[in-house]
Amino acid sequence: MSPLHTLFRWLGHTTIGVAMARSTWGFPLIEMAHLIGLAGLGGTILIVDLLLLGFGPGRLSPSHVARELRPLFVASLTVMMVSGVLLVSAEALKCYYNPAFRAKMALLFLAIAISYAIHRNLSRPGADDRPTVWLKTAAILSLILWLCVGAAGRLIGLV
Amino acid sequence: MSLLHLCQWLSATPAGTAMRESPWIYSLIESIHVLGITALAGTAAVLDLRLLGVTMRREQVSQVVELITPIAWFGAAIMFGSGLLLFWAKAENCYANPAFRLKLLLLLLAASNPLVFHLTTYRSVASWENATEPPPRAKVAGILSLVLWSGIIVAGRAIAYYH
Repeated sequence: MSPLHTLFRWLGHTTIGVAMARSTWGFPLIEMAHLIGLAGLGGTILIVDLLLLGFGPGRLSPSHVARELRPLFVASLTVMMVSGVLLVSAEALKCYYNPAFRAKMALLFLAIAISYAIHRNLSRPGADDRPTVWLKTAAILSLILWLCVGAAGRLIGLV
Repeated sequence: MSLLHLCQWLSATPAGTAMRESPWIYSLIESIHVLGITALAGTAAVLDLRLLGVTMRREQVSQVVELITPIAWFGAAIMFGSGLLLFWAKAENCYANPAFRLKLLLLLLAASNPLVFHLTTYRSVASWENATEPPPRAKVAGILSLVLWSGIIVAGRAIAYYH
């Protein structure tokens, strides 16, 4: 047994996991919270990435906007993660063996890494100037990766 | 022909049947629909939170409006286009679905909110847009929008549970 398998089996057997699996409305309600988190997260990602690619009013600096939207980004991501763990707990081992779920976790890891890199890069002094080619490439990558995370998420229920 | 008959006819058309009976096509349209709502509600939420003085306090309100408007319209177009297809496929079921009816009502209110805001409070934006705390009327518009869009997402997800 891999440690991950043990972790997922444990999650499914926790009080919360058992309650989530038994409850009629638990899963749909948490799913709704997951989707509201998605709206907040998607909005901040779209705004920062599109600004980096040159869309949006020229007077707004991507680094300012990224810094100001960071709390909303982190809060939305936290809502998604907490609700996501609850959703997984309702069918933990099923998720563990689900190829779409595995793909989603791998893509999520990459998407968070690229978003973190973008925010870090925008925090350095002098980032107010025109975005570098590196930043523009990262913005495109971020849009594609987050899109794939969403698509893989939808696939979990289909495969 | 009553509205119910129209819905029955719509979902019975070859296109409606094909979309409904193919789990892949239906799920694909559904995903695109969620994406459109995300782009619209997510960027609107940034403006709402600016109106509440929570985020982007250092930016002028008109700049935030200019920033989110094209993304929000893009999201709205995707949401409406894909939403029409989803309705087409399951029109008969949607007709009597309480979650669907609630979602339409909330959508109507959510759409009127920025319309009223732009025609009234936003007209004087130049006088308050630099304030980190906008006037109470702008805050009301922000709270209404956040509540309505959360309701739309919740009601939208609930539609599938009434099928």
